[in-house]
Amino acid sequence: MTGAMALAELLISALIVLGGAFAFIGSWGLTRLPSLMTRLHGPTKATTLGVGSILIASMLFFPIYERSFTAHELLITMFLFITAPITANMIAKAHLHRQGHGVDPNPADSTDATIPEPERWSTFTRPPREQEPLPPAE
Amino acid sequence: MILLLTCMLPFLGALAVALAARTGRNTQAILAGAATSAALVLILLQAPQVLAGTTSAFAMPWVPALGLEASLFMDPLGLMFAGLILGIGILIITYARFYLAAEDSMPRFLTFLMLFQGAMLGIVLSDNVLLLLIFWELTSLSSFLLIGFWSHKAEGRQGARMALAVTGGGGLALIAGLLILGRVAGSYNLTDILLAGLVIQGSPLYTPALVLILVGCFAKSAQFPFHFWLPRAMAAPTPVSAYLHSATMVKAGVFLLARLWPVLSGTELWFYLVATTGMVTMFVGAAIALFKDDLKALLAYSTVSHLGLLTMLLGFGTPMAAVVAVFHILNHATFKAALFMNAGIVDHEVGTRDVRRLGGLVHLMPIATTIAVVAGLSMAGLPPFNGFISKEMMLEEAGRTVWAELTWLIPLVATLAALLSAAYSFRYVSHVFFGPRRHDYPRAPHDPGAGLWGPPAVLAALVVLIGFFPATIAGPLVQPVAAAVIGAEPPYFALKMWHGFTPALFMSVLAVAGGAAVLWRHGEAVRMWQRVPVPDAKRAFDAVVAALVGASRVVTDTLHTGTLQRSLFVLFAATFLLAVEGLSVGGLGGATRAGIPASGVAVAAWLALVAGAVAVVVSARQRFLALIYISVIGLIVSLGFVYLSAPDLALTQISVEVVTILLLLLALNLLPKTPQPTSSRLRRARDAVLAGIVGAGVGWLALAVMTRAPRDPISAFHWAQAKPGGGGTNVVNVTLVDFRGFDTFGEIIVLGIAALAIYALLKTAVRGVAGRRLLAWVPETPESPERHPMMLVVASRLVLPIALVVGLFLFLRGHNLPGGGFIAGLVFSIALLVQFMASGYAWADARKRLERHTLIAGGVLVAAATGLGSLAFGAPFLTSTFEYITWPLVGQFELASALLFDVGVSLAVVGAVLLALGQLANLMQRAARLEVDAEPMDIDPTRGAGAVR
Repeated sequence: MTGAMALAELLISALIVLGGAFAFIGSWGLTRLPSLMTRLHGPTKATTLGVGSILIASMLFFPIYERSFTAHELLITMFLFITAPITANMIAKAHLHRQGHGVDPNPADSTDATIPEPERWSTFTRPPREQEPLPPAE
Repeated sequence: MILLLTCMLPFLGALAVALAARTGRNTQAILAGAATSAALVLILLQAPQVLAGTTSAFAMPWVPALGLEASLFMDPLGLMFAGLILGIGILIITYARFYLAAEDSMPRFLTFLMLFQGAMLGIVLSDNVLLLLIFWELTSLSSFLLIGFWSHKAEGRQGARMALAVTGGGGLALIAGLLILGRVAGSYNLTDILLAGLVIQGSPLYTPALVLILVGCFAKSAQFPFHFWLPRAMAAPTPVSAYLHSATMVKAGVFLLARLWPVLSGTELWFYLVATTGMVTMFVGAAIALFKDDLKALLAYSTVSHLGLLTMLLGFGTPMAAVVAVFHILNHATFKAALFMNAGIVDHEVGTRDVRRLGGLVHLMPIATTIAVVAGLSMAGLPPFNGFISKEMMLEEAGRTVWAELTWLIPLVATLAALLSAAYSFRYVSHVFFGPRRHDYPRAPHDPGAGLWGPPAVLAALVVLIGFFPATIAGPLVQPVAAAVIGAEPPYFALKMWHGFTPALFMSVLAVAGGAAVLWRHGEAVRMWQRVPVPDAKRAFDAVVAALVGASRVVTDTLHTGTLQRSLFVLFAATFLLAVEGLSVGGLGGATRAGIPASGVAVAAWLALVAGAVAVVVSARQRFLALIYISVIGLIVSLGFVYLSAPDLALTQISVEVVTILLLLLALNLLPKTPQPTSSRLRRARDAVLAGIVGAGVGWLALAVMTRAPRDPISAFHWAQAKPGGGGTNVVNVTLVDFRGFDTFGEIIVLGIAALAIYALLKTAVRGVAGRRLLAWVPETPESPERHPMMLVVASRLVLPIALVVGLFLFLRGHNLPGGGFIAGLVFSIALLVQFMASGYAWADARKRLERHTLIAGGVLVAAATGLGSLAFGAPFLTSTFEYITWPLVGQFELASALLFDVGVSLAVVGAVLLALGQLANLMQRAARLEVDAEPMDIDPTRGAGAVR
């Protein structure tokens, strides 16, 4: 039993350290990387891998040491998996939109060379349509 | 108890009519008529004993601390007025049923009319003067609605406003006067006040009380110089004029004069104020009436004149004059209401009320002519009608009264007024109904149906009957009513047609003959009249109103310049000065509590907080950046709550943060991203110094509070009683919904008001200057054409049920664990906000089932109903109860009435947030000239590959 406990302790500690390391690397990358698109990688890694490791550690710790099971970690995982990619996607979209219009150009993005015409990229271009009259003021 | 029911019946009738708005006109009229008839029957049942001398009374404490009692009583005076109000009320309802055109809303009209009737009945039956005042103001309000019933007509609106301003303003004076009176008499009950006549007249406060009460009565009864509102009120539909402006409301002032007659009359001041005002009004009203071409205006000024007559009689202060006044109140109500209804018939059938375009209707409208002749000759004071008798008696009294040793003044003015009165009455009868038949009537005149001529015919019949048998019909009523007015047995009087060759008879003959002569020479009289400069009351009134508005605007603009900087400066400076004052008076004891050592985490959080605050100040000119720093501060504060074991506060803080930041983001979108500085450098330096001082002061104050142990804190009680008293282990929630439930109730009302204020303020932003600025708005950065990204929409859809479950969970466990209605409401709001933001306002809004206003109102009402529910069990307002029940599967579960209260809180929160959101979205849509986008996504896979809107 003690062997198993020791193993569990080791595993949990390793996961926490790993999570901390990922979180740290993510934050480090956020400050160090040159352009927004590359910077975006930092926090996404921190949320998925970093927080994920810590959550797994928590899921191991409570049943083994406290003899209790909670679904909190699963819920947190689910929320993260829903929200983190969407956030990153929205930031990337906004960034591409701004770069496409030359707002706050950052040389590190090397926009001109890599971004194709907006309508062929994932940002959206509305087809021209007739202006509808304004809705009457309430 | 019967009295209370009587008084409530018209209000119940109003409710019934309003609820029956979808039924037919007959049903509504029958409902209103039934309520009125029932009240009349109740009054008549009590009439024999009341007239025999036993007043019936009802009393119920209302706000005893203020001396306010819901006490009613009915003596003969109240009985006569109640009978007039209800009796004529039935006739008016019948008349109105046939008078109003198809496009007029019958339920609205009858509801207002019944409200008015109830208020009027309340005035004449109130025993407590404070209660009387409430009903008094209610008549002003309901008559405002009735006069402005045709709200599409400018003159209707203006007339209603003027009537409200004058009678309502007079009501304010009356409030002051009656409060003084009650204070002097030591009781606010009329029955007590009426016994305290000597005390009141001996008091130094008699003069101010009398003047204030008279202002109120004169304004209500259209006495000079307040008479101008009554003719303007003729813009009302004729049933209203007949009811309010001849028989009932304008008599309220006279009623109160009669009611307080035993207490206030008999002094020199009373005589000179009341009798003189009455005399002037009587003469001026009659003079103007003669030269009015509009039938209703003629009748309105004649009413002014007759009200002046009544006031003058009461002003004489002699018992006999009071008897005459009582008798004339009765007579005037009968013939004047009949005449108004008659004028309405002419207007209805001929299409004009202009005397100059009328004439020769006698053969076309024989019934209307008969009524007009009977009532008109009664108004002129001709035998054998009732008007003759009371006018004779009035002239008799006038002949005996001396005004400042001028024996001739009052008889002369009275005769002249009677002469003019005869002249305009003759004019009404002869110029409208007699003379040559014309061929240019706007419509083909004919007699109306019985529904229209019936009611005035009843009154005309009364005019004749009282004229022939005054002692038999009116005598038994006038005797006790006069006794009630005088407060003692009235002197001997005989109501009869023939008094012998008295001076009054000669005055009367002179008046009638003179009146006929004036009418004969009417054309010349008109030319003379046009040379008399008469000030235009409307212009004067408008000038006064404009001056008042201007003065208020100057005061407002001086106090409130609209700059936020200045408001904040004043606020901060005042806070600082108050704190200095408090410290210099109260002093500061020594610290009594040791500090807690700071942990590394706390220090780090504190540093982050400081950094965030500094960053907000530094980046104040970049609004979005500042907003992000503000959210950092909010986040650290909520972490601080977690650290200090206040999970409830942390949850609240974080959800409030999310909602406010989201709404602020939406609002900021329309503002410049980097605002221009609006103050000078020097001023900013001054503001910075003040802000620094106040900030340091607040910090120091917080430190001072935290280093001192509170003495006997109330939280100890909350801790101890949360479980046994409130049934919950979450002290915060139990405090919110139970111990301090009334506070919370007030707060959700405040929240609702704030949301409505946002709504109102932003609603005006689309109009006028602000609206033009909005239309000229250009986004500072290019906007993405992608309004509803697919991934975001799908994810938000996925999050909605989860978030709602989380909210429900927080809500249900709130009583015992962190959570509660407020937090749950915020979580619900966030879940919905996300939908609105992701899928677009139009799409999300089309899916809501409840109006946002309804949510707010519903929340407040649910909370109020929960609070009131405890009253049903005999416990005070907002007492909560709880019960533990065991459910299968769930286990033991607590059901607290506070949970229902929390439902109200949640609803109000959701409604408030969504209301603000809706207004912002509306604004944004107009500013950006976006077309309404009812689709949830820009690219919809269900509409085929690449289907693009």
